[in-house]
Amino acid sequence: MKPPDEHIPGLKAVLPYYLFASIGFVIFHVLLVFAAPELPLHYFQPKLLALTHLFVLGWATIMIFGASNQLVPVISETKLFSTTLPVLNLVLLVAGIPMLVGSFWAFQFTWIAYTGAACILLAIILHSFNIYKSISAGKSNIITDILHMAHAWLFITATIGLLLLINLVFPLFPEEHLHYLKIHAPIGMAGWFLQLIIGVSSRLIPMFILSRNENTKLLNITFYCLNAGLALFLIEGMVFRSFHGKYAYLVLIVAGLIAYARYIHGCYKSALRKQNDAGMRQTFIAISFILGALILLSVVLWPGADLQPNITTALGFTFFSGLVSIIIMGQTFKTLPFIIWMHITRLNTLPELMPKDLFKERWVNVQIWIYLPGLAMLLAGLLANITILLQVAAIFMLTTAIIYMTHVFYITGKLKNKQL
Amino acid sequence: MNIDITDPHYAIKMKALQALYSVRDPELNINIVDLGLVYNIQVDEEKQSIGVQMTLSTRSCPLGNIITNHAKVAIEDELEGYQAEVELVWEPKWSYDNISAEGRTALGL
Repeated sequence: MKPPDEHIPGLKAVLPYYLFASIGFVIFHVLLVFAAPELPLHYFQPKLLALTHLFVLGWATIMIFGASNQLVPVISETKLFSTTLPVLNLVLLVAGIPMLVGSFWAFQFTWIAYTGAACILLAIILHSFNIYKSISAGKSNIITDILHMAHAWLFITATIGLLLLINLVFPLFPEEHLHYLKIHAPIGMAGWFLQLIIGVSSRLIPMFILSRNENTKLLNITFYCLNAGLALFLIEGMVFRSFHGKYAYLVLIVAGLIAYARYIHGCYKSALRKQNDAGMRQTFIAISFILGALILLSVVLWPGADLQPNITTALGFTFFSGLVSIIIMGQTFKTLPFIIWMHITRLNTLPELMPKDLFKERWVNVQIWIYLPGLAMLLAGLLANITILLQVAAIFMLTTAIIYMTHVFYITGKLKNKQL
Repeated sequence: MNIDITDPHYAIKMKALQALYSVRDPELNINIVDLGLVYNIQVDEEKQSIGVQMTLSTRSCPLGNIITNHAKVAIEDELEGYQAEVELVWEPKWSYDNISAEGRTALGL
């Protein structure tokens, strides 16, 4: 029997990811303040491309990589295959992301952009390899299958992204650039982010709310519907260069999401702990944004609709700033205090402080009280094309990002406290 | 966990159990006895040792090593001269039904 402590990866495989991601979150919102007046323009524009890539890579993916280095051993009941690869991956990401994002912002594609994109792709390959090897050594179940597929979609998304970057200067693709952008973005959103969130939350939510629900049949439906829909969408888009079946693929994906929603509802119904802390409340708020994103997606895909691109941008913000950011912000305070506590608590004496004493629940509440009005204003500003609303919204969200980053550093600072 | 009053080691086992009430689960912040993690306590007076069989709420709990060490420390602090050994077992599998009435109250259920 492996002792459980073997499941704990070293701090260097996890903590620096939290710190860099929180910095990336603040930088994203600083740039959002500057770019706010241009947000309602077409989404294929330098600043929005830079912001999107800073968000998905510099904030969300860095955080998810760090958290998965901690959580994958818990989910698959094994140890992390390598604790050295995460250090190399972070170096590659921290070097590559500014190169890529800076190139998008300036809209200049030199060797800097390609080097940055190559560093990011390499980091993604190495991370996926590490996760694959870790999961393969442990117990296989539907949740580990979901994690495998999420990483496969991340690799496909990043590869298409690199090819698109090359395509900007050296045309590679037979269709226009935007055709492939319409593939690159959805498979990244649904294949990587959404699927990973579904996989991790399916394990953590029942654990945190003490749910008796073990009905993973619904997760099987989610897994097959979501991946079938995405795979058909990818094949038709790349091989046949059309999107004729998009409504059928959407139906498959929505069916998968309904199964996931039913699973989460079942967990909540059978939970012993119905009074949730701030972190869990924010997780449920975040999940509700999936519905908002689906409504906007339906508007965007409505047959014959000739829509302004700002609705597509609003869809992007609903998904990323609504679902992804809020779930990460909430779950940070369900994981980081434990990670720090594990490393500072002494084995030979009973601790005076517990993980809940290492962070401020009030700050977690304040962050969402400021963030939600900010996001609501941002979406309203985008849909109604009101610049001043967008700028005020960006300042609200920047304030949240600063509170969040300060909180992450405050918790990390507890490492100096060896008195537990 | 119940200890039979006719057990010849009743007093020592009760002391050990009392000590385990001071070990808290870091996530739920309630003690491991009310959480139903402690399955059995054995006493070997000759060897001056206490054996504890306990489980974890999830098999790969990353905090498992810390919790078991704290259980050992708590018993050895309470019962001077005794050595404690904590063994992790996975049968019967822990379930939420193991939580005691006091544990449920502490969790606000």
